[in-house]
Amino acid sequence: MIKVNKLTKRYSDKTIALKNVSFKLDKKITSVIGRNGAGKTTLIKILSTQLAPTSGSAFVNGIDVVENPNQVRKIAVSIPQEAKPIDYITPFDAVRLYLSARGVWLHESKKAAEDALKKVGLWDARNKLAYELSGGMKRKVFVAMAIAADAEVVFLDEPTTGLDPFSRVEVWAAIKAIKGQVILTTHYMEEAQALSDDVLMIESGKIIAQGNVKQLLKPFSGLVRIESQKKRHKSYKVGNTWISYVKKAEANSFVGKEDIIKPVTLDDLFIRRGVNLES
Amino acid sequence: MNLKFIAAHSWLTGAGSLKSTWMYMISSMGFPLSLLFIVGVLSDGALLPYALVGGLVSVVATNGITTMADLGMFKFEYMYKDLIVTSKASPIDYMLGVMLADLFWSLPAIFIYFILDILFGILTPYAFVMSILVSVLVLLSTASLGFVLTSLVKHQRFVWAITGMLSLVMMVFPPTFYPYKYLPHFVLLILSISPTTPAAVLMQGFFGLAPTLWYMLYILVAETIIFFFVAKYLTIWRER
Repeated sequence: MIKVNKLTKRYSDKTIALKNVSFKLDKKITSVIGRNGAGKTTLIKILSTQLAPTSGSAFVNGIDVVENPNQVRKIAVSIPQEAKPIDYITPFDAVRLYLSARGVWLHESKKAAEDALKKVGLWDARNKLAYELSGGMKRKVFVAMAIAADAEVVFLDEPTTGLDPFSRVEVWAAIKAIKGQVILTTHYMEEAQALSDDVLMIESGKIIAQGNVKQLLKPFSGLVRIESQKKRHKSYKVGNTWISYVKKAEANSFVGKEDIIKPVTLDDLFIRRGVNLES
Repeated sequence: MNLKFIAAHSWLTGAGSLKSTWMYMISSMGFPLSLLFIVGVLSDGALLPYALVGGLVSVVATNGITTMADLGMFKFEYMYKDLIVTSKASPIDYMLGVMLADLFWSLPAIFIYFILDILFGILTPYAFVMSILVSVLVLLSTASLGFVLTSLVKHQRFVWAITGMLSLVMMVFPPTFYPYKYLPHFVLLILSISPTTPAAVLMQGFFGLAPTLWYMLYILVAETIIFFFVAKYLTIWRER
């Protein structure tokens, strides 16, 4: 379980990445969603003991990340954003190397590495050098590390950024195979919807909502999203597009020829919130 | 100390990857062997024994500088350092693992230098043992220095710039390829800020090419301890 209390992070250039945030995460998979620069990576880095907070406290399974970082490091795994496996070693060796960092002798890590590579579908590529792997396969090497480590808590920072849709689905399946509690960051709303038992929404360093996808989308119940080039009553501007929400049954009579009807997603919470913030 | 990680890292990314990265082995020999050639030709062979002795120091120092470059790659390119922070490995485990992995690439060059020392009749059992001791100190001090500097920089380009400067400070200016007696004493002391200076002075003494300045051993040991403890306590492991 993750417990955060009044956590603030102010960088040396005065940027405030987190503003007095408090929350509790106790579900199997939690997605932290938000735009680029919202504070997701800062939050993950603090929770995984890579970054010191300016103030406040955070606990991972009851262990204080500020006071006892070494204890947290024993039970947690953190896969950084844009991490790449070392080019000149194989996925098999990469997983075993990571297990050695977690305190396992090389000769004892063989089985765990083999099992993890099988689970993520990398068994056939286990002896290829990492530079020969596709982007999706490289990300799966890290998920295999997390699986093999069998940690209580796993932090994944944007595990699918830059991957094609097929690779993303493969990585999602691999993430689901992780035994421990998973906290992942993403700015793909469909990823959060596909994977999460709980969603934490973050914007400009503040938590703006938390709950499961169904709860979060409740205000949009029975509505669809209309994307239009023309402004309508109660519509929100995103780029050059005006977005409005209408009842599903009325959608067809409401839209013009060039308008697009889409189902409501977690994106819409941000769209509404963004407009509210501006107003 | 996480010996499991140190052993695994040095084995898997060092010895285990020699086959796929053999070019690094050649490149680690390039700089010292080039200077050996130039010094040998320009001095008509007279300074060759000095260059042979200093070349060994140079290879080991190159190893330390390569360690810094690799630490930069691991930090900025692979995000490997961030991955390792949340584990049971400490900063020193990490540094030693990378340093020892690089040592596998330098071993052929070190071997070649010892063979050349034998061929030129300057290697004695005493010189061999003492040169191993000096090499260990140079390796630890240069790698520690590189580790601290890497933790302070924000981009890989700075790592390349610093390694270039360190190559000059550690291998060209110090008396690694020429007799230390060529330098005024105060210049020798100023250059002693680089661990390769006391190392080269000591090696010239141990190989019987010049009187042994024992106080240089104290300087080298002190620098190694200082750089190592700076690496242990001042390296930015958890960012602020």
